[in-house]
Formats: sequence, structure tokens, C-alpha cells
Amino acid sequence: MEALQPFRRILSNRHEAARQWKSRGGGVVGWTCTYTPEEVIYASGALPVMVCGSLGETNLADAYMPSNSCSFARSCFNAALRGEFDYLDAFVESTSCDNREKTFDMWVNYSKVPNLYLINMPHTNTESAHQFYYQQVVKFKEWLEQVLKSQISEDSLKEAVAVYNENRNLLRQIYDLKMKKPPLLSGTEYLEIALSGLVMPKTEHNQLMKALLSEVESRADMPREGLRLMVSGSVMDNTELVRLIESVGGTVVADDWCTGSRYFWNDVEMGNGDPLKAIARRYLDKVPSSFMYMREQRFKHVAELAKRFDVDGVIMFLIKYCDTHMFDAPYLRDELKAMGLPVLYLEWEHSMSGFASLKTRIEAFVEMVGGVQ
Amino acid sequence: MSTVDRRLKATSGFYRNYVKRSYEEAHLAKAKKRPVAWISSTFPVETLQAMDVVPVWPENYASVCAARQVSVELCELAEREGFSRDLCSYSRCVLGSVFGYEKELPEGGLPKPDFLVATTSACDTHMKWFQVASRIYKAPFFVLDTPYNIGGRDSEHIDKTHIEYYESQLHELFAFLERQTGTRFDKYKLGETLALSDWTSKLWTEIQNLRKNIPCPMDARDAFSAVFFMLCVPGSQAAVDIYTQLRDELRERVKDGVGVAENERYRLVWDNLPLWYNLKIFEYLNNLGAVVVAEVFSHTWTGSLDPEKPYESLARKYLPNMANSTIERRVDIILDLVKEFHVNGVILPTNWGCRMMSIGETIVRDTIYKKLGVQSLIIDVDSSDWRIAGEAQVKERFATFLETLNR
Repeated sequence: MEALQPFRRILSNRHEAARQWKSRGGGVVGWTCTYTPEEVIYASGALPVMVCGSLGETNLADAYMPSNSCSFARSCFNAALRGEFDYLDAFVESTSCDNREKTFDMWVNYSKVPNLYLINMPHTNTESAHQFYYQQVVKFKEWLEQVLKSQISEDSLKEAVAVYNENRNLLRQIYDLKMKKPPLLSGTEYLEIALSGLVMPKTEHNQLMKALLSEVESRADMPREGLRLMVSGSVMDNTELVRLIESVGGTVVADDWCTGSRYFWNDVEMGNGDPLKAIARRYLDKVPSSFMYMREQRFKHVAELAKRFDVDGVIMFLIKYCDTHMFDAPYLRDELKAMGLPVLYLEWEHSMSGFASLKTRIEAFVEMVGGVQ
Repeated sequence: MSTVDRRLKATSGFYRNYVKRSYEEAHLAKAKKRPVAWISSTFPVETLQAMDVVPVWPENYASVCAARQVSVELCELAEREGFSRDLCSYSRCVLGSVFGYEKELPEGGLPKPDFLVATTSACDTHMKWFQVASRIYKAPFFVLDTPYNIGGRDSEHIDKTHIEYYESQLHELFAFLERQTGTRFDKYKLGETLALSDWTSKLWTEIQNLRKNIPCPMDARDAFSAVFFMLCVPGSQAAVDIYTQLRDELRERVKDGVGVAENERYRLVWDNLPLWYNLKIFEYLNNLGAVVVAEVFSHTWTGSLDPEKPYESLARKYLPNMANSTIERRVDIILDLVKEFHVNGVILPTNWGCRMMSIGETIVRDTIYKKLGVQSLIIDVDSSDWRIAGEAQVKERFATFLETLNR
């Protein structure tokens, strides 16, 4: 389908959009946790882009970070050391987890990126947490204004909310295309659409998604329908795993990733009040990641997705060494099994090293579940 | 000099008289239906003490299990239940003791909690691990969500919004404790507890400062066991009494020029946790002429408390804890220790299941060397899971490191 091509192109040159933006004189701010209030960056006039890692070795980062540190954080830091993010005007991290907090120290001490900021992220959403987080978002806004030398007005925040809510709404519509039987999009195609939106201007992303939605119902090249699977984990910044699953007879119809369903599930609920307050509220109340206290809410989200997308099994793919997800894993696995769903549990390096054995395990799982049906 | 008795009197029988007894008392309290709570380190224990709640420390229990050489067996029990081998060994060990409650466990195992309290300050693991325990025991769980201290270099330089958030949660905590215990919050009792805790901190600081002397009168092994009072029962008369006795004994030793090692040639700083399953490693160092004169761990739990400003001073005590701060806080502490304790080498043990203790040691190493020309050794170990690094290998690394210091 032609409408997929632009997403694919952008994702395979993930720095391209940012570099172009920069060459036109715009500012670029990197973020790496989906708890970063992107709307505030957008409202400053700068382009928010997600800092991602890349597959393969992390030799440069390994000189500074121990092998038991989060392999995603290590990969991002490795990319920074390689100069892949030399276009950034600023980098924002969040205190969402130990690995992030500590890797931020690495960026401060060893990367060349100017203007680094760490947002203090509560781990719960009580009223006092909301009050605290709002104060942190205000501080972040003031910091951005200072380093980017721009003013963030109430109107620009409202506009940002509108653009981002539209983006989330379109993502939800596209996500639901996989509910159909057979699905109108493969998991790989979906991920190409979703991930490209993290590294390009949201307004353009919205246009591309609208174009796709108008074409998709009549697509001639329908994806092959495989075993309907869900993938659960922390973060996913590339299509390799899903491509692998779909190459051995699965179709990834749903996910529980912070860059997947958890990214767009909840909108900013804009009332008549302070837009910054509405933005802050959204981030604390959204479908939580595992570092948040309200873990049952995530389990519920996963269970609902499994039902709604009528999945045949779940692959829990945990990126090493993510403590908070590892602590939740035994219970999430039990709950899924109690729903009658077969579960494959994997802990793997972000680099996907040991690809052959990963393939063997997934292949065996798909065969086993497919055979039972 | 070889006839000098180098063991401290004040700390002999520590385990039997205090640590072991604290578990007996907790079991007894449980039997008498007094409220028993599991608590994580960096939680302001003074609040529980002031409400007559018996605090039980799973982390301490893990170190006990490691010292008794059963931690790995317990870790394996948790791994069998699906908890990753890459998780914190303390948490695996304690969860293993919960799953293996039918076994004969050290000190009869941990008493079941009536409720649990933990912070998010030292690590995510505290919250997640206690959440698991709370689910198993169906016991209420209070999380004190502690803002990460970004760049605040000491208790005087803490962000105002952090203090406010912390204080508001302390109010919520007392309401929670009132509900759980049926006891009314008594501000005089809190004031008394804070005053005792403040005193304990001052004594502990005095004790540490005595170790600046050459030769050093107290070793890491004693410090890692004595810190129990500072960490677990700071607001108690027992802590004040034992620390007074210890301080006085150390003063005597300093006066008499009695040190830990017969021939003190290297003075070291030790970061993070010891190898609880092998505390004898410190004797090995002593025999090579090396003495750990300061542990970062011994310099991070103190803090002054003002009974007139209970909430604010608790916030100022706990927020700048090194475990809750960006790396420069740890670097500053070690820089000061190296300078003030006449140190010529720094040991930086990582801890396999602990990101907070593992990530950032390169920054410490590089900064200490750049600023003071003092070398550090980063060594990959685990506090309680000896499968991570073999003893021979660890000894070899230490010996080689000391040789480089010799040059």
C-alpha cells in the first residue's frame, strides 16, 4: 500500500526529519521516556523527537556502563556517544526508573549534548503527587523557555494539546484496524506508523495517517493472517521483534508497550482551565507503566486488550535489565494464563543478540499455540 | 604488638545481643498482636517508632541470610516462582524466605507484616518488591513517594517543592498509621523519638570521625554491623547507649595507638554494600596491610532532626540520602572521605541486581582520579548472591589493586 511508504522511509532514516527541521533553523529537543510531556516541547516551537537506541553492539557505552544496566538505556547512550544525536539542542530525561535516573548521570558526564534536564516524576497519582508533578512541569516549561529563548504561551499549549490529541485519536483508529479478521494492517506495518511519529513533526504525522486511513479499507495487498498475538513489555523502538514474530506465522495485533498502546490510550482532557495543568494530569493518570504504583491498572489494560483484539497468545518480551517489569512479570503471566492464554516469557538484550535462538523459541511457541487451535 | 587484642569489646556479641534479639522481639510482638510492619531502608523509621509499631527490615534479613550462607538457596526459590535472577538479591532472598516458609529459616523467618511501608527513594525495587509481599500477605502497603534529589548537595539545599511533597505525605502517613494501629498520633512522642535519633546521628558521626586517626581504630566489618542502630532503630535509647560505649572505646584505642591492622599501609574507602556472605574479606585486606577506614554507607544515614520542625527536618534528613541523589552527591561524599580520612584507594563494588549501585561508578572513579589522583577499583560482585563472583577472583582483584597503589 502506497500510503505506508512515507512512514517506512522516515523510520529507516530516523534522524532525517530532525536534521531537516534543524537546517530550517528550528530547535530540536530529544526525549526518551514516554512520560515526558511532549506537548510542552511542541508548544515551545521546537521539534520533540524520541531518543532511541539501535540494534547491535554497544561497545562505546559498555566502557562506562555495567553489563547489568538496562540494555535500552545503554543503547541510547551508545548512540549519543557515537554522535547520532549531535543535532539536539537539549535532552530531557525523566526519573521514571532507576536505570533512567542513573543513565542521565552518564549523559551529563560523558555526552556532548548541551542542555540536559531531568524531570522529577512521581511514582503514584494521588492528589499530592498531582500537585507536585504540576510544579515540576511548570519548572520544565520555564527551563525550556530559557534554553530555547522562546515563550510558551497558553495558546500555544492549547494548540499543542489539540495536535497531540488528534495524533492519539488517529493512532487509536489505526490500531483498531488490527482488530478486524483478517487484520487490515500487520503488526510490523502498525509499528512503522507508530514509531515514525516519534521522530517527525506531529502535524505531518497526522496528515500521513489520515491519508492512510482513507486508503486502507481498499488495500489490495492484504497482510497474511497469522496466529493473533499480543506482545507485552517495556519499550520498543524498532520493528525487528515484530517482524520476526510475523515471519514465523504470527500476527501482532496488540501490544503493551510504552511506545505502543500506552502511548496514545489517554488524551489530555482539556477543560477551560490551565492547559499545563491538564497536560500534567494526563501523564500521571494515563495507563501506567510498571514503575507506577498502580500496577493493577496496567494488568487490566493488558487483559482488556487481549479480549478486545481476541488474541490467541501473549509473548512477554522483557528488555534486560528492567526491574519494574521483571517484578510484575510473574503476576501478569499468571493473570494471562488464568484467562486461558498461552504465554511465552523472554528476557532479552535490547540489541537482540542471539537472534537465532530467539527465533527458535518464538517459532516453537507459534507452532505450539497454532497446533492446539 | 602482635599480642594486642584487636577486636572491639563494644561490638562483640552485637549480633546475638541486638540483631538476633530484634527478630525475637518482632516475633513476640506479632504473637502479642502488636502491630508489625515491614519497612524499607530510607523510610523515616522514626515515624513508626513514634507510633509504637515494630519495624522489621527485610533488607537486614537478607544480609543475615547471606551471612548464614543460605541466601542463594532462598534466591533460587524466588527464581523458581518466576522472579528473574537479574533482580535485586535482597528481594529474591526475602521473597524466597516467604515462599519457603516451611523451611528452617534463620531467626525463624520474617514475621508476617500487618502492613508494609516503603519509599521510592533508594530504588524502584523497594516499591515493587514490597508490592509483591503486600499481595502475598494481603496486607496494606503505604508508599512514600520520594522525589529524586537532583543536584541538592546537602540538607540545606533541597528543592522547596520536594520538601513540600514529602511533608504532605508524612501527614498522609500518620493518618495511615492511625488507621492501622488504632493509636492516636502523639506529637510529643514523635519529638522524643526525633531527639533520640538526632543524638544517635551525632554519636555515629563522632564514631566515624575517630576513624580518621592513623592507625584506624575500627574496621569495615564492625562498621557494617554497628550501622544497624543508625539505620534500623535510630530513635531509641539502646542506640544512644551502644554508640556511647563504642565511641568511648574507640577514643581509648586512639589514645593508645591501637589500630585494626598490625601494619597499616593502605587506607581504603568502600562504596555500597559489603559481601555479606564473606565479611572475612575485610580480614584478608587487613592481612595485606589494608584497612577500610570509611564506608560510604556509614556516611549517608545520619541527619539532624529538630523536634520543633518534625516534618521538615525528616524531609531534610532523608531527601539528600546518597541513594536518592544524582551522582555528584556520591562523588562529593567520596571526595571528602578521601581527603579527610587520608585515603589512598577506593573500592567501588557494584551489586548485580542493583542499578543504583552499579551505574555511575565510572564517574566516581574518573572524578576521584582527576581531582585527587587517587585510584579506584570497580569490582563486579553482589552483596548476597555469591554466584556472581568467586572468592578467589575477588581476592585476586584486591591484591592486584593494592599492588598498583604500592607503585
